[in-house]
Amino acid sequence: MAEVILRHIKKVYPNTESKKSKKKGEPEKKKSNLLVTEEGVLAVQDFDLDIKDQEFIVLVGPSGCGKSTTLRMVAGLEGISGGDLLIDGKKVNDVEPKDRDIAMVFQNYALYPHMTVRGNMEFPLKLQKMDPAEIKRRVEEAAEILGITQFLERKPKALSGGQRQRVAIGRAIVREPKVLLMDEPLSNLDAKLRNQMRAEIIKLRQRINATFIYVTHDQTEAMTLGDRIVIMKDGVVQQIGTPQELFDHPKNVFVAGFIGMPQMNMFDAELIENGGKYSVRLADVTVELSEEKQKNLAKNGVKSQKITLGVRPEHITLAQGADSVKGKVEVFEMMGSAIHLHANACGRDTIIIVQTMNLEDAERSGLSIGSEISFTFGGGVAHVFGENGENLEA
Amino acid sequence: MKKKMAWSRNERIFLWMLTPILILFFCFNTLPLIKGFYYGLTNFRGYGNYDFVGLRNFADIFGDARVGKSYLFTFKYAIVMTIAVNVISLILALGLNSNIRGKNALRGVYFVPNILGGLVVGYIFSFIFTYILPAIGEATGSQFLSNSLLASTRWAWVAIVIVGAWQGIAMNTIIYISGLQTVPEEVYEAGMLDGATGWKKFKNITLPLIMPFVSINMVLCMKNAMMVFDQIMALTKGGPSQSTESISYLIYNNGMSGGQFGFQSANAFVFFIVIVAISLFQTKFLGSKEEQL
Repeated sequence: MAEVILRHIKKVYPNTESKKSKKKGEPEKKKSNLLVTEEGVLAVQDFDLDIKDQEFIVLVGPSGCGKSTTLRMVAGLEGISGGDLLIDGKKVNDVEPKDRDIAMVFQNYALYPHMTVRGNMEFPLKLQKMDPAEIKRRVEEAAEILGITQFLERKPKALSGGQRQRVAIGRAIVREPKVLLMDEPLSNLDAKLRNQMRAEIIKLRQRINATFIYVTHDQTEAMTLGDRIVIMKDGVVQQIGTPQELFDHPKNVFVAGFIGMPQMNMFDAELIENGGKYSVRLADVTVELSEEKQKNLAKNGVKSQKITLGVRPEHITLAQGADSVKGKVEVFEMMGSAIHLHANACGRDTIIIVQTMNLEDAERSGLSIGSEISFTFGGGVAHVFGENGENLEA
Repeated sequence: MKKKMAWSRNERIFLWMLTPILILFFCFNTLPLIKGFYYGLTNFRGYGNYDFVGLRNFADIFGDARVGKSYLFTFKYAIVMTIAVNVISLILALGLNSNIRGKNALRGVYFVPNILGGLVVGYIFSFIFTYILPAIGEATGSQFLSNSLLASTRWAWVAIVIVGAWQGIAMNTIIYISGLQTVPEEVYEAGMLDGATGWKKFKNITLPLIMPFVSINMVLCMKNAMMVFDQIMALTKGGPSQSTESISYLIYNNGMSGGQFGFQSANAFVFFIVIVAISLFQTKFLGSKEEQL
C-alpha cells in the first residue's frame, strides 16, 4: 500500500549525435515531435501526478509519448533527469529498484527461461532470504489466484502467451509490493485472451492491496481498468481524469480523438456568439449549444470564431429536413448490434453509429453504399475546439 | 507437380554447394585418417619397405612411457588452458559488453592475438621469456624471474599456457560477447527489480542463459589445447627433458624424424578417438545444462 507522487518529473536523453559528424549549416534532424533542447531530447516533460493509495492509474498514449519511460523511472530502470519521485512520502529518485518495494510486469513477460514457473516465482523471495515455508505459501497462493498451479513445475517455454503472462504477474505479486507496475502486459496476447486477461486483472486488483500503474496504448484497456487515466503525447501530459471525464470533457483535439471508439468526428465549423447565446454552424446547419456549454463558453469570454467541431459517432442521429447535414455513404460496416456508416460529409470522413434494433428493412436499404443521408446532433454533445486545438469550454 | 520440380531444383543447388566441400573434406580429412590407420598397422619408418604388424603398435602405445608422459602433459595443459581461457575471456566479454566508451575499438584490440600465427606469437614470447623477463628479474632482484621459465622443467608448461591463453582468449571472448548479447535486456531488468545484482545476477541469470556459448567455448578450447603444437614448436621443442612434449609434438617429432611413422600413426589414430570422446562427453554434459531462450 502506497501513495506515489511524481513532482515535475523530467527525462532528458542527451544528444548522442557527434558535433563533428554534423555538417555546417545542416538543419537539425527531427526524428519525432519530442522537444529537443541543448540538454538533449525531452522524452518526458514536467510530469505531475499524485497517485492515491491503492489507486489504479493508467498511462496511455501513442508510441513514443513517454508513458513507458515514465513507468521505468518509477521502477528505477531509468534515471530521473529532474523532479522528485516519492513513494510513501520518501524520495526515491536514487534508490535502487530492488529497494523501492515495487514489482513490474513486462510486455514480453521477461521470465527466467532456465527456471520453472515455481523457480521464477520463488526467485525474488529467495533473494530476500525469506523463510522457505513462507515462500512456498506465497507461491502457492499466487498460483491459486492466477490459476497456474498445474504449471508450477513447467518451464516458461512450455506455456502459452497467456499462461506466461500469468506467471509474470505471479512473480510480481508474490513479493506483495507496495506498487505494481505493468508495462503493456496484454499487448502480446490475441484479442480474446486480452479480454480475458483484462477481466483477470480487474479481479486481481480486488484481491491485492497494491497501487497500480499500468501502461498501455489501448484505450479500451485504459477505460476499463483505470480509476484515472493519464493521456500523454510527445512527452507531455495532455489530460488526467476519470474515464468518464475524459470521454465527456476532452481537454483538446488529441484527447478527443484518442478516447472513444470509433474516434470522434472532427469538422471545420464556426462558433457564433450572439447576445451571449452560443451556437455552432456546420455547413448550413446551426445548432444551439446546451446551457452548460453556453455557461462555460461565456465564463471564458469566448467570441465568435472558426472552430474544430467534435461530435462522437454515437451522438449523431440520422434525420430528414432542412436542419440536417448532408452526406454520402462510402463504407457500410455491419457490426451486429449496430451499423458503422462512413459518410463523406463537409469534405470529411464522418462515422455514424446506427443501432440496428428497430431498424426497418426499408430504412436499412437507404443506408447502402452510395446513398445520400442526412444527420444532425444535439447541442449537448458538440465539442468546441479553438484554432490551437484546445477545448474552448475548459 | 510444379512444386516438386522447384524443390528438386533447390536440392540440386544445395548439392552443388555441398559437394566440393565434401570432396575436399574427404581428401584432406577422411583419407588421411584412413591412411593413418593403415600405417598404424605397419612398421613403416617413413621411408623404405614396411611390413604389417597387426594391432601391435596400438597395444604398444599403452605401455610406452614417453607416450604416457606426453598424454599427462597434454591433459594437464588442456585442463588448465580451458579453465584459464574461459574464465578470463568471460570476464573480458562482460567488460566489453558493458556500456563503456570505445568498447568497439577495444574489441578489435582484444581480437588481434587471434589473427597472428601461432609460431609468430610463440617466437615473440620466446624472446620475452628468454631475455626480457630474466632482465626484469635481475633488475628487481627476483630469483624466480631471473631464470628463464622455458629452461625450467617445473615451470616451462606454464609459459606455454600463458602463450596459448593469450592467443586463445580472443576468439572465446568474441563468442562470449555474442552470447551475452542474446540475453534479453528485460530479463536483466526483471532481475534488478527482484534484487539480482552483481554476483547474484551473474550466477542466477547471466551464466545459465549463456550456457550454450559456454559449451561451445569449452569444447573448442579443450580440443585446441589437446592439439597444442605451434607454441611448443616455437618455445620449447618439447623440452626441457621432454617435460613439455605434447602428443601432437611427439607424433610429429618421432613420426617424421624418429623413424616411428607407423607407431606414431597408430598414436595419432588413438589420439583422434580420445579427442572425439572428450568432445562428445563435454557436449553431452554441458548440453544438459543449456537452456533455449
